[in-house]
Amino acid sequence: MVELDQEQHWLEQSRQGDHAAFENLIRNHQRMIHSMAYRMTGSMADAEDLAQEAFIRAFQQIDSYRGEAKFSSWLCRIAMNACLNWRQREIRRAEIHQDWAEETLRGGSEKKNVAADEDSSRVQAALDRLPVKQRAAIILTVYEEMNHAEAARALGCTEATVSWRVFAARTKLKRWLKPASRGSPGR
Amino acid sequence: MNTSELNKILKAAKVPERPEAFWAAFPRRVTARIHWKPAAAGNNPVRRVPTFAWALAALATCLAIGFFIGQRSGRSEARAGTGLLQNEKVIREMLAMFPNRVRAMVQDEHGLNLVLSDKENVPASTPLWVKVCDGKHCFAAVTFSGQEIHVGQRDITVLADPSGKIILAGDDLLWSNGKALLADGKLKIEAKSLAPLVLD
Repeated sequence: MVELDQEQHWLEQSRQGDHAAFENLIRNHQRMIHSMAYRMTGSMADAEDLAQEAFIRAFQQIDSYRGEAKFSSWLCRIAMNACLNWRQREIRRAEIHQDWAEETLRGGSEKKNVAADEDSSRVQAALDRLPVKQRAAIILTVYEEMNHAEAARALGCTEATVSWRVFAARTKLKRWLKPASRGSPGR
Repeated sequence: MNTSELNKILKAAKVPERPEAFWAAFPRRVTARIHWKPAAAGNNPVRRVPTFAWALAALATCLAIGFFIGQRSGRSEARAGTGLLQNEKVIREMLAMFPNRVRAMVQDEHGLNLVLSDKENVPASTPLWVKVCDGKHCFAAVTFSGQEIHVGQRDITVLADPSGKIILAGDDLLWSNGKALLADGKLKIEAKSLAPLVLD
């Protein structure tokens, strides 16, 4: 991760329309945005489309970023909105899951961690089962490590609503992910 | 399964990897699409006005907060001598010492324990006071909505809605404003919002 000063410099240059500076910002945050979009959609192809869309929107709205929140949080909010508005997500998910399963069987690097990928698939399937707003709340608070206030700002709802969504989502995830957890006797 | 175990499982889930070439090319693919859109350049003179307005607004807010603190401290003095006020002082000091890092202050028979977050990511919201007695031990805590506290053998999530209703939820526990909806009969729970503290 780059220094904040450097990021600030790139932001200033991006505001002047400097695409090279904006590419540096993308490079710095692209994995985080892709991961978030993938967890929201369960689809690599959709994640790429959404990440592109999020960065383009960020560039177009960069004047509205005033540094009140971290740039990464601001980007997350844009990306999450893009994910929530992604109308064709549900239709494409089945196809892409199938593509990814085939790719996993074919691919070389993925064979290294077959067991880990099974676990990952199980978690992703559980995330997919959640209502989209609960999924968003979990992704922001667990994976992006936002507090409930930050997640509330990103999702445009109250902190209490985020707390409820996280609680409801966790309750379901605990139930869905419990039976196959290994070496964990539970309490 | 408690919340930290669930978090571990969730965080261990990997996103399918992409080749390095993808990451190298992705920023250029984005900016290539941006070229077709109007650039965001040339807005500097316009931006100065809202920045100045923002600075004025911030100054006004600081003055208002300063005035309010003065008012509140006078009222707090009037409540001197109560146990709650002593706690309030401790709470204020702790919150001031570790801004946005205090997840909970838990008091048990061993004393006061401070539960801090690794990062400054705890929202400055209304503190909530919670007391749980399980028949053998009592634990009191000051925490915030959405935080999880470890009380005895239990992980309890404390939630509050905008109307001030407080809910405690755990694996074998669901309690809402004086009513145990699901709980061990031995548990005695009290909870309240420490709303005035937010203003100070």
